[in-house]
Amino acid sequence: MKRTIPLLIVIILGMMFVMHTFVPHKVSQDFYDWFQKWIKVITSFAIVLGVGSLLMVHYSKIKRKAPAWGYSWVTIAALVGTSAVGFIWGIDEGTPYMWIFENVNAPLGATMFSLLAFYMASAAYKAFRARSMEATLLLIAAIIVMLGRVSIGNAITHWIPDITQWILNVPNLAAKRAIKLGVGLGMTATSLKIILGIERTYLGGGK
Amino acid sequence: MKFTDYIQKIDRRYIFIVLAIAVIVPLLFPLGLPTFTTPPVRNLYKHIDEAAGEDDKAVFMDFAQSPSTLPELYPMDLAVLRHCFLRDIKVFTISYYPQGAAIMQMALSEVKEAFPDVRPDYDYCNFGYRSWALRVPITLGIGDNIAEAVETNSAGRRLENLPIMGKIKNYDNIQVCIEISGASPGYLYINYARARYGVDVAIGVTAVSAADNYPYLQTGQLIGLLGGLKGAAEYEELVETFAVNGIPYSEKKAQNLSWRQQQFELSEVPYKFKRARIGMDAQAVAHVLIILFIIIGNVGYFIEKRQEKKKFIK
Repeated sequence: MKRTIPLLIVIILGMMFVMHTFVPHKVSQDFYDWFQKWIKVITSFAIVLGVGSLLMVHYSKIKRKAPAWGYSWVTIAALVGTSAVGFIWGIDEGTPYMWIFENVNAPLGATMFSLLAFYMASAAYKAFRARSMEATLLLIAAIIVMLGRVSIGNAITHWIPDITQWILNVPNLAAKRAIKLGVGLGMTATSLKIILGIERTYLGGGK
Repeated sequence: MKFTDYIQKIDRRYIFIVLAIAVIVPLLFPLGLPTFTTPPVRNLYKHIDEAAGEDDKAVFMDFAQSPSTLPELYPMDLAVLRHCFLRDIKVFTISYYPQGAAIMQMALSEVKEAFPDVRPDYDYCNFGYRSWALRVPITLGIGDNIAEAVETNSAGRRLENLPIMGKIKNYDNIQVCIEISGASPGYLYINYARARYGVDVAIGVTAVSAADNYPYLQTGQLIGLLGGLKGAAEYEELVETFAVNGIPYSEKKAQNLSWRQQQFELSEVPYKFKRARIGMDAQAVAHVLIILFIIIGNVGYFIEKRQEKKKFIK
């Protein structure tokens, strides 16, 4: 029963959405409007589920004194504190919620991503060696694109930005399109397998 | 340690220190390097600009962002909003990310400071945060009626009662949907809004994601693309040159660097409207530095290889 009901929901709704896309009938449109209302309700419950799950995971870590359990307190405090100021004073400009976002969340997030530049520099230095023809081609392309994306490349010669644009428009585009077509066909095949009930691993259980 | 070993195995802490200096110094003392514009950015600017002064046209902006991508994407937010406010183009803003909604609020407030006459719900409308699960229903729903699909603005007012909605009903009135995103940019609008309703779509993405989206540019599914800080810098430059000076857009002039440089003095531009161009100075130095490190590593590799070859022959 635990697996049959979710499986039936997926199969029925999957087929109905396929029909909705291809059959522009009033019944199909009414079904879609009805579903839109339902999804708003379901989403609200999903937030409750998400918050509950987060609290349970971190409460369990604190209780077991798992490694780095102190950070779980920080997570819970941030969740409760930010939600509380949002509920009490609102989330508009000038509220404590926006102050937390602008002065804590935004700088922390931006800093974490900015660290990537340092790791990329170090990784490029260590990994980019002209060991083979393919590696040499990659190396040359990387250097041209790096120069072509900044004004120094154009100052050397206008050929560098032109070649950069060609690399992006031709070899890069061809490879990306091939990958996207492959992924698209894979997604279609997997979706069909799910809708037809052949692929069931998403239900869990392992069997 | 041999010299060839040393230059191939420089301690990464030294690389970090040198790179940090190379990034911080140009940020503190901008070099004022020129900004060259590229077709995907010029196309977007031109396309948005065509809606100037039109009551029945609006630009639809989706802020699919989080703070981690702020340095690259936030200057794009500011540049596009500034362009719209300067040229009297109506703007709708929405975000399906809780943090994106806060960034959207920040960007609107920051740009609005420079435009005291721009009024919410008249000149722009912030739809606020909407749940991720509603992305597809809202995107499809806008094709029929924006007011019915989105229902309310961020302050909870019904859209049908807002003055901005007077002549705007659905995608027929949307000049372009721009998703400025750190995740999977534009696919929602390409798959649903463009495929079904034919609306024009553009994206702003981080530099690492830009290359992924060139297939959509070539097919015309994207009419423009802002790639990373460079894309933001180019857009800032076009806004500074044309929109600020009230000069009609010209493709020839947009490509003419020396003409563009005569149109404004960068030092007089408020920091918030030139942050991408200052950032590009730092990025240019960082790129050159990374290339130098790569060359040093390869020089060591080739010398070592040659020495090994000589030993083998002996």
